[in-house]
Amino acid sequence: MAKGRGETIWTALDRKATAIAEFTMRQYRTRISTWVVLGVGFLSISVVLLFYIDAMNTEIEAIDNDGDSFDSDGDGYVDGQEFKLGTDVYDEFSHPGLFNPPIQPEPASMYINEDDYDWDYSDARSVSTGYDDDGDCRESQLLESQKDTNNDGIPCNIRIVFNSLTGEYQIFADYGVDEDPDEDRYGKEAQHRAFVLAIGKLGFVFLLSIFIPLFLATGLIRDEMTSGTMHYMTAKPIARGEIFLYRMLGYLGIVWPYMLVMCVLMALISGLLGPGDQFFRFADLGVWFSVLIAALLATLVYGMLFSFLGVLWKYGIILALPIAAWELGMALLSMSVPESTFLRMSIVGWSMSIIDSGALLVWPDMDMFTQAGSWAGGSNEGDSFFSFESEALPGHGALEWAQSDLGLGMGPYPTIIVSMMVLLAQAAFFWFIGQLVFKSKEIE
Amino acid sequence: MSEEDVPIEASTPVTGQSRMDAAWGSESDSVASVARPSTQTGQVFEQVYKPWNGTLNPRWMRNWAIFRHHLLGIFRKGHRPWGVPTKLFLIFVFIASMTDVALTLLFAILGEPGLYELWGVGRNNLYAHVLGFFPRNMLFYPLVAALLVGGVISEDRSNGTSALYFSRPINRFDYVGMKYLAVASIQALIILGTLMLYYFADILSMGRGWSWIIDTFPMFLTTMFCGVLLIVTYTSIGLALSSVSRGKFFPGIALLAIILGTKTLAAIVEGLFDKSILYLISPYDSIAHVGQALIGANMMYEHPWVWSLVSVLAFNAISLYVLSVRVSSMEVTRE
Amino acid sequence: MIPDVSQTGEAVEQQWVPQPKAPVVMLNNVGKTYGRYQALGGVSLALSGGVTGILGLNGAGKSTLFKLLMGKLRATQGEVRLFGTNPWKNPAPYARVGYVPENESLHDWMTAFDFVTTFARLHGLTRDEAKREAERVLEFVGLTDVMHKKIGRYSKGMRQRAKIAHALVNDPELIILDEPLQGCDPLARTTIMNVIRELGRMGRTVLLSSHILSEIERITEQIVILHQGRLLAIGNLHAIREQLDNIPHTIELECSDAKALARDVLSLDSVHGLQFPSTTKLRIFTHHLGEFHKHLPKIVVENNHDVMNINNPDDDLQTILGYLTGGAR
Repeated sequence: MAKGRGETIWTALDRKATAIAEFTMRQYRTRISTWVVLGVGFLSISVVLLFYIDAMNTEIEAIDNDGDSFDSDGDGYVDGQEFKLGTDVYDEFSHPGLFNPPIQPEPASMYINEDDYDWDYSDARSVSTGYDDDGDCRESQLLESQKDTNNDGIPCNIRIVFNSLTGEYQIFADYGVDEDPDEDRYGKEAQHRAFVLAIGKLGFVFLLSIFIPLFLATGLIRDEMTSGTMHYMTAKPIARGEIFLYRMLGYLGIVWPYMLVMCVLMALISGLLGPGDQFFRFADLGVWFSVLIAALLATLVYGMLFSFLGVLWKYGIILALPIAAWELGMALLSMSVPESTFLRMSIVGWSMSIIDSGALLVWPDMDMFTQAGSWAGGSNEGDSFFSFESEALPGHGALEWAQSDLGLGMGPYPTIIVSMMVLLAQAAFFWFIGQLVFKSKEIE
Repeated sequence: MSEEDVPIEASTPVTGQSRMDAAWGSESDSVASVARPSTQTGQVFEQVYKPWNGTLNPRWMRNWAIFRHHLLGIFRKGHRPWGVPTKLFLIFVFIASMTDVALTLLFAILGEPGLYELWGVGRNNLYAHVLGFFPRNMLFYPLVAALLVGGVISEDRSNGTSALYFSRPINRFDYVGMKYLAVASIQALIILGTLMLYYFADILSMGRGWSWIIDTFPMFLTTMFCGVLLIVTYTSIGLALSSVSRGKFFPGIALLAIILGTKTLAAIVEGLFDKSILYLISPYDSIAHVGQALIGANMMYEHPWVWSLVSVLAFNAISLYVLSVRVSSMEVTRE
Repeated sequence: MIPDVSQTGEAVEQQWVPQPKAPVVMLNNVGKTYGRYQALGGVSLALSGGVTGILGLNGAGKSTLFKLLMGKLRATQGEVRLFGTNPWKNPAPYARVGYVPENESLHDWMTAFDFVTTFARLHGLTRDEAKREAERVLEFVGLTDVMHKKIGRYSKGMRQRAKIAHALVNDPELIILDEPLQGCDPLARTTIMNVIRELGRMGRTVLLSSHILSEIERITEQIVILHQGRLLAIGNLHAIREQLDNIPHTIELECSDAKALARDVLSLDSVHGLQFPSTTKLRIFTHHLGEFHKHLPKIVVENNHDVMNINNPDDDLQTILGYLTGGAR
């Protein structure tokens, strides 16, 4: 039969690959369940997005972290004003109104959020930062030694020291510096970052990347085998390993564009709505890119795994469900204990570390930023002069929850590279044993 | 060809032989066979059909047969096959659900009051036995429901075996109702059975008196009620999914996705924005919230529990509606 | 050892010929067991060219045989060769094979044209080539009018023809059809039979299975009879029947006066029993079919009987199988 067949083996392979991939994509497209699954995935992420939009449009209530908007002695002058001008805060007969010329009392609102963080969040081991906006350190009647309570020789500053033992930053602030941060500014930034991380790690890498393959990939080979239509494909001059791979290509042809669109959509919306002075948070695109990479790799590996389980056994789903439950456990574990060795035996663990690394690259100040949230203008320090509110800034809790350190003990770039290699290796491994099993499978 | 004068009446048993004779009867004289010794050439057709003369059993008895057929399949062969992995998993969950029973017995024997407090019957422990998330409602009960519900209607549809039911005097709703009951009973056997064992193990091992029983019995009953609520909700959702799809696995995965997926989603929102309201879309959390309120365990949600109750009712109502619509419009063919 | 049923009637080709000249299909003592159940045992067969019908009852091992040939199953004993190559885990020979599986499931969501095109591309054809080939084979099986409709809307006969079209798209040398006539109405049956006959005429090797002898008879006389996983008979249908000469046969004659004819026929030695189902029908039992057929025309002509129809109800598979497996059952 002399027919114009493929010129080389590669063009022939290419023809078969596109034929099966196209076939698989069309098969998915004609099924309602595919659209239901993808639609529900979109809806789920959208629900969280709605909460995010709501949060971004709601002003976070300002809290007077240092308590100086309170008029302790009831003389009409709030503590902050009295303190700045050196009158006795607790004596109602000592207030700036008795000055010559008398000074009018300032409204209490001037003393709420009046000294926001002026921090250089760069990741230095020891840094001198902070600026006393409201002047209750710089312009107060305190002695020079009282203005330098952290003893670093610079008055009215904040010294941040990295404690290599605890792995945390310690904040030593002079009295009255950056002591009343703007909750709204910090909280929105923190919530925004937490949202990107949580939706990336739990939304994309866990929810979408597990359930979509569970629905779409488990039956990739198995459904055809049970319905008997696999007979047509296996009767053609094409190796079973190739069928497995090309069916997978078709699956990726549906799932990867979907993930891409979802990621771009989320990046656009959160970039436009997110806090900050710019029109669009371009830097965040880096994190979204890492989310995309992680999600693509996770759907690839899970697809291979579930498809392999489907080939392996008629009841492959019974094996897949405990694995999904295990991965849920691993997802929660990687949020809290990212260095656990159990994570090395999972897929989410590796995928999530890609996102964490990406976040660390885009937001290198993450650790110090988190620390600043829990410090909350010094109100959480035991040695704080005023201890009205001993609570972290809003958004800090969410950020603590969503963000985790790199568990591999490497920098962000090596972590990304290693994680990607591991995920690709996992995918290759599952494909390899999947096609081995498929090859030696008798098809009834 | 021996019997000649069998009168053919309506009540005559229909056998292959006599029907043949009846067909040739009009000219029986022309049927002759030449008597020559011949080897038997073989008889292909030998069938004796015995008509059934009984009366149809009442409806409940027919329903009972369907129910029994599904339930007994867990224990024996010859009834609805549930699949070995499903059975194994049921056994595993049954044993794993008895950890608190075992620990109660153990600490009762050891006589450690401190440890006993931790594991003995109490509000929070009763709650945890039925409604605790990890591991019971994360790894055990939803998976049990998913595996049971998996093919219970969809397999019948795809194999065409539903036609076997509907060609008999069986109402569609009875058919689905019995499947529902059977699936729910198997879950009840595991969830409520172990709960009862737990309660009785406590009574026996600690030698509880009547006053203790009177004290704790309402709590126990409430927990039972919450367990029923859990089972009913999982089964409703699962069967609705099973009636919607054709595959064996789709309903199982979908049930799991609904239970664990909504939970994860709500957890994301709670973690990020400190709002528990989204837990209303999670069937598990809604039941857990209602359970916390009824049993009196620690409340873990901020919104009023009545909302959760409404949500649970809504889940059941929607599922049952979908189920009934699908069942009444189900085509009795192999799809 | 290996029976030859190639229709050229050459000498039995028993030797294993190296690949280029290997028989299209060769089975050497092939067996397939599932646990303790033997689906196929010790089947040896070599086929090249022509249409061959594989006959057998349900569960005789016809599909198992085909699945072994198509590498879907692995033989538990013996060797299977397709163009001289073992097809298990080696899809290379399928480039020259077309296979029509038995099961009815098809990709209902596709049109027949897309279905055939897609699977043509698995032979390494380009998109355009595949489309051209698909149009060609769909015309060959007579589906051109409906080829752009979804397969799900097709009738059974059309589905069967779509399956055949997909198998023919690579212009195969060997075509394997597993129960191609199953469940088709007479019209579709005739169309498919014509297609198969045409393929045989084109010099392809065609293997088809059925459990209805009359169906096969209308297509080919070359048959293989399988029973309970064993090879029971192989060769020309009529030759096989001849060999059954010493076994009682039934012949049914339809004539104007059965009793008169019976009187004359009784004089023959080969006749050992008569029966009158009705006044115009005569059933004759004979031990020597050949001899009876030799004398029957003479009697009919000499005595001027008016015979309208001669029926051979024993010629069905069930009876032949009954005899082959040990006579009386």
